[in-house]
Amino acid sequence: MSVRRPVRLAAPAVLADGRGLSGGMLRQLFIGQCLVLALHLAWMPAWLVALALAVAGYRLVQLRRGLPRAGILLRLAAVGGLVLALWLQFGTLGSMDGLVGLLLGVYLLKLLETHDRRDARVVVVIGLVTTAVAFLHDQGIPMAAGALLAVAWLLQSLVWLSGATGLRQAWRETAWLLVLSAPLMALLFVTFPRLGPLWSMPQMDRASTGLTDEIAPGDIAQLSRSDARAFRARFEGREPAPDERYWRVYTLSHFDGIRWSRATPDQLAVTLERPVDAFVREAARSPWQSQEGARFSAELLLEPDSRPWRPSLGTPLESDSRQRFLADGTLEGLAPLSSRSLLRLSSSGAPPANPDPAGARWHRLLPDDANPRTRALAKRLWREAGGDPDAYLAAMMARFGEAPYRYTLSPPRLVGEHRVDDFLFDSQAGYCTYYASAAAVMARMAGIPARVVAGFLGGERHPDGHFTVRDYDAHAWVEVWRDGAWRRLDPTAVIAPERIEQGAQAVDEGGEAFLADARFSPLRMREVGWVNRLRLEWERLEYRWQRGVVGYQRESRRSLMAQLVGWWREAWARLDARLPGRGAMATALGLMAVLVAAAGLVLLVQRGWQHRRRRRDERWLVGDLQAWLARHGLAGRAGESPAAHLRRIAPRAGPAGWALEECARDLERLAYAPLEEAERRQRRHRLANRVAEVRRRLPRRRPGPGGAGA
Amino acid sequence: MSVAAAASSGSGPRLRGRLRHWWLRRLAAPMGHSLPQRRLFLIPTRFGLGWAVLVVVLLLFGINYQNSLAYGLAFWLFSVGVVVLLRGWLNLLGVVPELRMPREAFAGGEARLKVLLRARRDRTALELHCAGVRGRGDILDGRGETELALPVPRRGVQALPWLRIESRWPLGLVRVVAWVHHDAELLVWPHPLEEDEPAVHRGGADLEASDFEGLRRFQPGDSPGRVAWKQWSRTGVLATKAFSVPPHRQLWLDYAACRGDPERRLSVLCARVLAHHRAGDRYGLRLPGLTLAQGEGEIQRRRVLDALARFRPTRPEGGA
Repeated sequence: MSVRRPVRLAAPAVLADGRGLSGGMLRQLFIGQCLVLALHLAWMPAWLVALALAVAGYRLVQLRRGLPRAGILLRLAAVGGLVLALWLQFGTLGSMDGLVGLLLGVYLLKLLETHDRRDARVVVVIGLVTTAVAFLHDQGIPMAAGALLAVAWLLQSLVWLSGATGLRQAWRETAWLLVLSAPLMALLFVTFPRLGPLWSMPQMDRASTGLTDEIAPGDIAQLSRSDARAFRARFEGREPAPDERYWRVYTLSHFDGIRWSRATPDQLAVTLERPVDAFVREAARSPWQSQEGARFSAELLLEPDSRPWRPSLGTPLESDSRQRFLADGTLEGLAPLSSRSLLRLSSSGAPPANPDPAGARWHRLLPDDANPRTRALAKRLWREAGGDPDAYLAAMMARFGEAPYRYTLSPPRLVGEHRVDDFLFDSQAGYCTYYASAAAVMARMAGIPARVVAGFLGGERHPDGHFTVRDYDAHAWVEVWRDGAWRRLDPTAVIAPERIEQGAQAVDEGGEAFLADARFSPLRMREVGWVNRLRLEWERLEYRWQRGVVGYQRESRRSLMAQLVGWWREAWARLDARLPGRGAMATALGLMAVLVAAAGLVLLVQRGWQHRRRRRDERWLVGDLQAWLARHGLAGRAGESPAAHLRRIAPRAGPAGWALEECARDLERLAYAPLEEAERRQRRHRLANRVAEVRRRLPRRRPGPGGAGA
Repeated sequence: MSVAAAASSGSGPRLRGRLRHWWLRRLAAPMGHSLPQRRLFLIPTRFGLGWAVLVVVLLLFGINYQNSLAYGLAFWLFSVGVVVLLRGWLNLLGVVPELRMPREAFAGGEARLKVLLRARRDRTALELHCAGVRGRGDILDGRGETELALPVPRRGVQALPWLRIESRWPLGLVRVVAWVHHDAELLVWPHPLEEDEPAVHRGGADLEASDFEGLRRFQPGDSPGRVAWKQWSRTGVLATKAFSVPPHRQLWLDYAACRGDPERRLSVLCARVLAHHRAGDRYGLRLPGLTLAQGEGEIQRRRVLDALARFRPTRPEGGA
C-alpha cells in the first residue's frame, strides 16, 4: 500500500568477516585521496599524482590476482623513495613545502597497508589533517568549496565503514550530519575566542611578487605584464580621487649610475654610522610625523608575500597594530605575511613632511662620471632658470612633456653605461621608471635632494566600494625636498596623463605588453559587458569572503561580538519596555512564557499533523479503534484479524453494531480490493466517519461477560 | 561482558549477586517495549577518542597559523561529533526488540534465536549481542529480523542471557548501548545419539495406503489424482477415492530399558523418538515418575522431547 522507495544495495564496505575491506571501499578511499590531493596540486609537485595512481594500481592488481599484502621491504622502499624525491625537489625536508609533501606522500602510501576497518579510518583521519594543511596554501572560495567536497566525501567513507547498505543512504546520512552540524559550527566560529599563535611553527615559503626594492629602467614593465592582485583596500570616510591614489611602498635613495636601489635602515645605519632607531621605530603610530594630517583611513587586505612591505596612501600615520615605521615615510610589517591578512591604516595622502635623517647630502649623491650629456643639460636648464630650483624643476617637467618623449610599455632596450643619457637623448621612449629615474638624476644634478618612490598608482574601484590594486598598477615617481617638505613630482603625469586618470590599461602605445603574461585573464575582457560584470561580482564575493571569513581574527571578532551584544541589549530593552512589570525578573518570566507558548504551539501543530496523517492510513485508524475498544472491555483476541474482531463484537455493540460491520467491510475492501485511488480516498474518508460513529454510539456501560443482548 | 552470566550467577555472595542483578535490571530495558531514553547509554569508541584528538590538533593548527578555515574545519568536525551523538542515539531510541524462540534446539548444536526489531523509522546497522554471539540488523519499512546462532552445549531448561543492542552508526565515534532484559528460557533437547544396532525397523514398507476402501464426498483440498473422475462423468457428483491407511506400530520407549548414565539414556531415547516419528509410529514414553501416553505426529514428538529435556534424574545412577 505504501510506496516502497527503491533501496539500491551496493557492496558493503566491510567484508563478511567484519574486518576486511571490500574493493569498493578501497575505491572510496582512493577517490577521497584524489580529492584531497587536488586541493594541494597547484602548489605541490605533480609527480604526487603518479604516486597516487601507482599505489592504487598496485592495490588493484593485488586484489584482482589475490597477491599477498605489500611486505615491509616494499613499504620501506616506498617511504625511502618518497623522502628522496622530496629532497631532490625541495633541496631540504625541513621547509614547509617539504613537510607538506611528506604528509601528502604518507597519506597516499598509507593505502598500501590499508586492510581493515581501523586502517581505513586512519586513512580518513590523515585525509582530514591533509585537508586542513591545504589551507596554508590558500583560503579562497575555490579552496573552501573543494575542501567542503573533500570533507563530505571523507565523512561519507566513514558512514560506509559504519555499515551503510546503499549509496543513497550513505549520502543522506552524510548530508544530515553536515547540515545539522553547520549551525553549531557557525556559532563556534563566531564566538570562539581567537588567540595569538601559541608557539612558532614552520611557515610556508612565499614567492616574492609585486615590487622589488631595486629598479633599473625595464623592471616595472615586467609587473605590467601580470594581473596578480597586490592588495585590496576599503576606505572609511573619504575615498581618494584618481590622482590621489599614490600608494607609497619603498623609497629608493641610492643611485649607482644605472639603477636605483633601496637603502634599508640597517644599511643606512652602517653607512652613516648612526643607530638603527634613527631610521626605523616599532610602534602603532608614526613617531616621525604629527597625527594631524590624517586624511584617509583604510582597511587593507594584503596578499601574502615573502617581504614585509605594506602600502600606504601617502605617509602612514597610525595603524591598529605595531608596525615598523621608517623615517622616509614608509611602513614595514614585523614579519612577512604567510596568508592574507587585514591591516587598518590611517595616512596623510601626501608625501612626508619630515626631513630624512639620512640627510640632504645623502639625497644629492651621484656618481661623478655617469651620464655626461644629462649633466650638461641640467647645467643649461639651471642657468636658464636663473638658479631658482622651482623654475628649474618646472622647466625639466615641461621638457618631458614635449613632443619627442613618448610613453610606452615596450620601449627599446637600453644597455649602455650611461642609461639616462641614452634615454633622454636617443630613445626618448619609456615608462614611469625611465622618467622617474631621469627626473631624480636631473634634480640631484642641480643639488636638489631627490629620491625615487616605488609603489602603486591607481587601483580598480569595485562597485561595492573597495579598491583592487594589481601588479600592473605598479608605478614609480620622484620626491624632492622643497621648502621643508617632500614634494611629489610625477613625470608620467606630464607625458601620459591618461595613465594617472584611468590606469595602466589606458595606455595605448606598447599596449601589447600589458597583461602579456596573463593571456586568459578576465581583465582582458573589460569591454565585454557581461564578462566584466561576472568578474566584478566574483571579486566582490571573494573580497567579502576574505574580509569576513578568512580575516575573521581577533579584531573583527571583538567588533562583531560587541555588535551582537549591542543588538541583544537593544532587543532586551525593547522587550523590557513592552512587557508589563519592571525589572529583569519580570522580563525573564515574560520571555519564558512566550517560549513555553511557542513550544506548546509547535507541539499542537505536530500532534495535528500526526493526527491528519493517521486519518489517511486505515491501519492506524482501525488500530486506534481497536485500542479504544480494548479500553472499553472489548479487546481483540490473540491472532484475530482487525476485521474479524470488529465483526465479532458487532452483535453485542447495540447501536454501534452497524457501524462496526461497515468498518470491517471498508477495511477489508481497502486492504485487499484493487481500488482506484479516488475510491480509495472516498472509502478512507467513510471509514474515518464510521470509526467516529462507533465511538459515539457504543453503549457507555461496561458490558459484562453475559451482556450480549443489551 | 555477559550480563546474563553475572545476573544468573548465584554461586557468589548472594547479596552482592542480587544487588548486581537489581542494578543491571535498572539499566536494562524490558523486552517487547520500545527502548526508552533513559536506558540508552553513550560510550565513546577508541575512534571517537581519536576524533577528539583530531579536533584539538586542528584547532591548535588553526591557532598557530591564524588560519580561519582551519578553525572552521576544527569546529565543523567537533559539531559533527556532537551531531553523531544525537543521530546514534536516535538510531536506537524507540526500537522494539522481540524474541522469537527457536522451535527446536538439540544439545551440542545451535539454537537459532530470532530477534525481531520494529521501529517507526528506518534504522541502520544495529548490532545484537547475546552470549558472545553477534548479529547485525537493519530496520527497513518498520521491521527487521536477525538470527543469532547460540551454541547450546547442555540439555535442559536454560535461562537465555540478556540481549545487548548496540549501534555505532553513523560514524563509529560513539557506541550507543541498550541492554534488554527478559525471562525467556530455552528448552534444549538432548543430543540425539544413534545406537549401534538400529532399534527401529522400517516395517511399514509394504504397508502403504493402497487398499481401496470406497468413495467419499469430495472436499476442497483433496488431491486431483484421487478424484473419481469416472464417477463424476457418470453422476455429476465429485467424489474422492478413499484408501485404507496401514496400521501403525505401537511401542513404548522406556528409560529403564536403556543402558548407561542418565544423559546417555536420554540421548538414546531422543534419537529413537526422532526415528519413530520419521517412521510414523505410535509411541509412548516411560520415564521414572512420568509416563506419556502413546500418540503420534508432531505434537507427540514435541511432548516427548520436551519431557526428555525437562527430565531430572533423581539418583545419580538409574535403577535396574
